[in-house]
Amino acid sequence: MSTIADAQLDALAAGPGPQLNTFRHYRHLTVELAISQFKLRYTQSVLGYFWSLLKPAMIFAITFVIFVGLFKIKDGTQFYGIQLLLGIVVWTFFAECTASSMMAIAGSAGLIRKAYFPRSILVIAASMSSLFTFLINLTIVFVIAVLLHQIDVGFRIFLVIPLLLELYLLAIGISLFLSALFVQFHDIGHLWDVLMQLLFYGSGVMFSLSYVLQRAHLALAAGQTLLPGQKLAVGAKLLGGATVLPTSNLWAVLMVACNPIMQTIEDLRHALLTPQAPWTELVVTGHLAAVNQYARFDYPWLLPVPFLVVVAVLTIGALTFRARARTFAENL
Amino acid sequence: MTLSDRDLAIRVEHLSKRFRIPLDRSSTLKHRLTHWRSASRYRILEALLDVSFEVPTGEFIGIIGHNGSGKSTLLKILAKIYRPEVGRITIAGKVSPFLELGVGFNPELTARENIFLSGAILGLGRPELHRLFDEIIGFAELEQFVDHKLKNFSSGMEVRLAFSLAIQAHAEILMMDEVLAVGDASFQQKCFDIFNRYKREGRTVVLVTHELAAVTNYCDRALLLDHGRLVADGTAAAVTAQYRRAIGLAADGSRLAPEIDRWGSRDVVITAARMLDERGVEDTNPVTGGFARIEFGYEIQNDAVADFTCVVWLVRGDGLAVAESRFPVSQYAQVGSSQRGSAGTVRYDIPQLPLLDGEYSVNIELQGRRDGATFDHVDHGIRFRVIDRGGRHGVIDPGGVWSVAASELPVVGWPDRLGSTT
Repeated sequence: MSTIADAQLDALAAGPGPQLNTFRHYRHLTVELAISQFKLRYTQSVLGYFWSLLKPAMIFAITFVIFVGLFKIKDGTQFYGIQLLLGIVVWTFFAECTASSMMAIAGSAGLIRKAYFPRSILVIAASMSSLFTFLINLTIVFVIAVLLHQIDVGFRIFLVIPLLLELYLLAIGISLFLSALFVQFHDIGHLWDVLMQLLFYGSGVMFSLSYVLQRAHLALAAGQTLLPGQKLAVGAKLLGGATVLPTSNLWAVLMVACNPIMQTIEDLRHALLTPQAPWTELVVTGHLAAVNQYARFDYPWLLPVPFLVVVAVLTIGALTFRARARTFAENL
Repeated sequence: MTLSDRDLAIRVEHLSKRFRIPLDRSSTLKHRLTHWRSASRYRILEALLDVSFEVPTGEFIGIIGHNGSGKSTLLKILAKIYRPEVGRITIAGKVSPFLELGVGFNPELTARENIFLSGAILGLGRPELHRLFDEIIGFAELEQFVDHKLKNFSSGMEVRLAFSLAIQAHAEILMMDEVLAVGDASFQQKCFDIFNRYKREGRTVVLVTHELAAVTNYCDRALLLDHGRLVADGTAAAVTAQYRRAIGLAADGSRLAPEIDRWGSRDVVITAARMLDERGVEDTNPVTGGFARIEFGYEIQNDAVADFTCVVWLVRGDGLAVAESRFPVSQYAQVGSSQRGSAGTVRYDIPQLPLLDGEYSVNIELQGRRDGATFDHVDHGIRFRVIDRGGRHGVIDPGGVWSVAASELPVVGWPDRLGSTT
């Protein structure tokens, strides 16, 4: 007596006779599910799909008015407005993708109990509609940037592709993990809401890395000596973590440094908007070292960390999902 | 019995499945954290216990059993929706990935959108669906509603759409769970037409249903499950008969069910009711064409009442009154004295029960002779199950007589109505 392995079952089910190519079937199913979810999301609303474009624009307007209008934050970097908009668009994708994919399994109980197909299809389909919106938004941001500012468009624009892939894989990894656990623990939803708030401030959506670096350089040029407390504050800002983080806690700073969302936002800004040094380049060329003497933040090994985090998140997410997928039908 | 691999469609060996049902079901982390010591507090439900059987290619097999006997669990394991716990399953051929009609239907989408979504779940590709689209809509008779949202469809329309889509799925092994439970009579007829087509095509079909008549008519073989155990495996007729006997006995035990509906002034009350066979033995499983006696006791509570009318209805499981019969009882004429507390027994004999296979019950009412006021009314006072040995469809046996004549008579086309009297 043995429990039959999944692969074994699949092999048996494949059997002889005329049949549809399984991979093609599942790919087709993913697309159909994504299309219908996309339609459903904007059903019964007057503006329909425009909401997905309107929402980031509105959030951008609010943020811009508060930070630039009210607090007079002057970003020394080029095109602060459009940089902020790009950050918000990336963040909106990440937030919506994880939030909607989290419900993908629990929200499809009827389907799971009645039909067999790989359960991960549901999560991927749910993420696809967010991804689609994201790509359109990204294009709009880029077009606005080209129209408004003289942006020099170079080959670095192709960097967008691996960066989007990285961001998408991160979102999928988290979605797989969350959706699998959400089936039995609905607390995950609330916990994730809170965690998203924390991540928002730790992902450099509102501050560009270049801005922080320039501030540090200016301080250096003015011969200004930083107080010990400020040194770490620079470190925190340098890593995109604004001032909300407890600056005395080096570990918190390090955690922010490992955040792939910050890295992708920063690199996307570079690829699409400004030719200024991105995160990856900064670490390599030693810009960090320039600040180091003040911030004592000498961690060259930080360079691959965001990428390793993506790999780790995806692996953990996929393994958790696979282990729990077997019992979805029973637990829903 | 071991089949060679060539003829085998499904082989199940020593399959067991148990479910853990938490006693205090709670899906919060807090509960898990605060009650981590009591993590093992769940009840184990043995859904399937050591089930083994084989299905050869092209066989039409029915799985029957009471609710909770494990038949749906078995089907779900065969369709890979649940994981087997212990045991081995071998399946040769492509299994339909769905169990019910209309899987994946969304009320907010239109008929067209639903065809593409649900079709994808059934394994149909987009070009194929484009090709079959008109056929599917045509079969479902929904040409005018293609772009209407499903939520505006009647349930009948929805079932028609689901069914015409489902028959397009090209699986070698079809699993169907209670497909007959939905839809009206004409829909069921469509289902049966499709079943016949599948049989001709030599497809393997596993059918889970409560419709015993469908099992006897279409299945080559039937499995009977009882509390997760395979208790019978044999010809459809033999296994359904065994199941009928089993539920018949169970029905006897629960005859005085608490859900009995009762009303009336209680001037005269019904004291007991039962169904007997020709030997006078209590039997709630009469046979079509056989003898059945309905017997009930009454007791007069009000001296002023001297006579009353007994009414008996035979009611089908779905609430349809199939027959009504009335009988006047006069206390003086039949029993002699009209004293408070006087009682008696009324019998209603049916020499040849005309009812076909199905669940029925008897409603009894005692009425005032003059005004028809209800003294006592009992709904479902007796529940019984008629067994038709011929496995025929329908409600009644009209007792018609068949004959055939030599060809002296001119034959004018096909008559719409067959059958004549002697």
